[in-house]
Amino acid sequence: MTLLLETTGLSVRFSGLTALDGVSFRLDEGQVRAVIGPNGAGKSTLFNAISGYVTPTSGSVLLKGEELTKLSPHEIAEKGIRRTFQNGGLFPELTVLENVLTGLHAQTEGSFLDILLGRAKAIESEAAMIAKARDLLKLMSMDHMADARAGDLSGGQQRIVEIVRTVASDPPVLLLDEPAVGLSPVARAQMMEIIQRLAGEKGVGILLIEHAVELVMAAADRILVMAAGARIAEGTPAEIREDRAVLEAYLGHA
Amino acid sequence: MSNMPTPRQQSLRTVLFWAVPAALLFLPLATNAYTQFIVNGMLISVLVTLGFSLVIGNLGQLAFANTAFFGIGAYASAILSAKLGIPWILTVPLAGAFGALGGFLASVAALRGIRSYYLAIITLAFGELMRWAYLHAKPLTGGTDGMPMPRETMFGISLSDDTLKFYIFLAVTVLLVKGTLNLMRSRFGRAVMAVRENEIATASLAIPTARVILATFAWSGLVVGCAGALFARHVGHVFPESFGMLQLIASFAMVLVGGLGSVLGAVLGAVLLTALPEYLRAFPGMEELFFGLIVAAVLVAMPRGLASLLRRLSPVFTERYYREGA
Repeated sequence: MTLLLETTGLSVRFSGLTALDGVSFRLDEGQVRAVIGPNGAGKSTLFNAISGYVTPTSGSVLLKGEELTKLSPHEIAEKGIRRTFQNGGLFPELTVLENVLTGLHAQTEGSFLDILLGRAKAIESEAAMIAKARDLLKLMSMDHMADARAGDLSGGQQRIVEIVRTVASDPPVLLLDEPAVGLSPVARAQMMEIIQRLAGEKGVGILLIEHAVELVMAAADRILVMAAGARIAEGTPAEIREDRAVLEAYLGHA
Repeated sequence: MSNMPTPRQQSLRTVLFWAVPAALLFLPLATNAYTQFIVNGMLISVLVTLGFSLVIGNLGQLAFANTAFFGIGAYASAILSAKLGIPWILTVPLAGAFGALGGFLASVAALRGIRSYYLAIITLAFGELMRWAYLHAKPLTGGTDGMPMPRETMFGISLSDDTLKFYIFLAVTVLLVKGTLNLMRSRFGRAVMAVRENEIATASLAIPTARVILATFAWSGLVVGCAGALFARHVGHVFPESFGMLQLIASFAMVLVGGLGSVLGAVLGAVLLTALPEYLRAFPGMEELFFGLIVAAVLVAMPRGLASLLRRLSPVFTERYYREGA
């Protein structure tokens, strides 16, 4: 297994409160790793620390051995860690196609001046990106919605478009923050299938926050369990099911 | 669901874009000196509105520094022409550069996390500060007396000639509108809108949000700064009062009536609200009242401005933020 993402002793403290307490884990190519834990366990802080929205107090984040800890969110995204947001991060006033194109921003060639003057380099690259975005939408059977305003889509469709936008640049690592929240049971199953396909077929390493334990048990290769900012268990779904600490802290029965 | 133009409608859009300025080339043959003067002012308003709309509509920042950019451009043009003897036409891009610098300064406030009403106040203060500077930097700006533009000729024609000015203004306006459209229909335009919609999510897409904000303010400043240079030549004499609250409110109304964040809307809003007072002269004493009523009526009937009306009429007018083909 090729190691993609690794955190070592990652900690985040906000004036006296320890939101993340020395969390270490690794994520391999093609692996789906779920992060579970009760509210306030530090799951979102972990995501924010990895993606640069919160500066870690100590510890480090490494992508393929490269230190990312001090970089800003857009730099980390450019290095290849892309994420979604719990509350949905689509741009509602842009169309579905335009949303997917924003995911290809760094891949689109042409300087500000090339774009301003309408030079061939910028126009050709733009056309290539549009073709790619349309292909990706087609792959998810969303091509018929390309020109719809993103805000007009159903919740499930919005989640799917956000995933398309996030994977458009072929990032090696994906952080998905509750991608199935608020979806119907059918849409949830569909979402889990998409996630497994991305990992299995494209080798994307996926870190997944999800509350629905049964979905997690079915979809994840490995699970990281957190409570009060710290890692309390780590293992395969079968191992986690049997773990005493998890049963006590998270599942609420010993 | 889809309101997107077909390929044929896209070609029609391109034809329309060039047909309007092409038809305008013949305008001086069909008009009198007074109308010509009004139309020249209209072109300037188009640029001012365009630059303003970009920041408050597309980027979604409540920044009111556009009057400052306009004044900076006008004074830059006047000072460079009068004090340094630079031919006026060359002061137009230079005024644009000074306007862009003003835009850069305004963006620093936004980048330091000053947003919303606070950004509104600080940018208004910037505008008033510039007006104070024009009044008090007397050796440079002439203070309350303002600055007359020097007499100058181009191609052997005096630059006080409104027909000559019209062709120059038209060329500058078409260039800047076309450049802005190119920017909007690209990854840059999408990034500008993305910052407005969700700045945090935008950064997660490897889009450098700070650079996008800076570049938008700078381009807005450049467009409005160039408009300032045209304005200096248009009125022939630059006064501090031209760059106060009245100017700001007028261009704010043009942005809203045309349609926030729409290039087409900026053009429509500027044209309508520049032309309207001329027609209202037929009702002496009632001009302001009618003007206010018409602006209010448009906004009540079409909260998204005149551009939204045209969009409803035909997908030809739908604005896209990508460019498929040429």
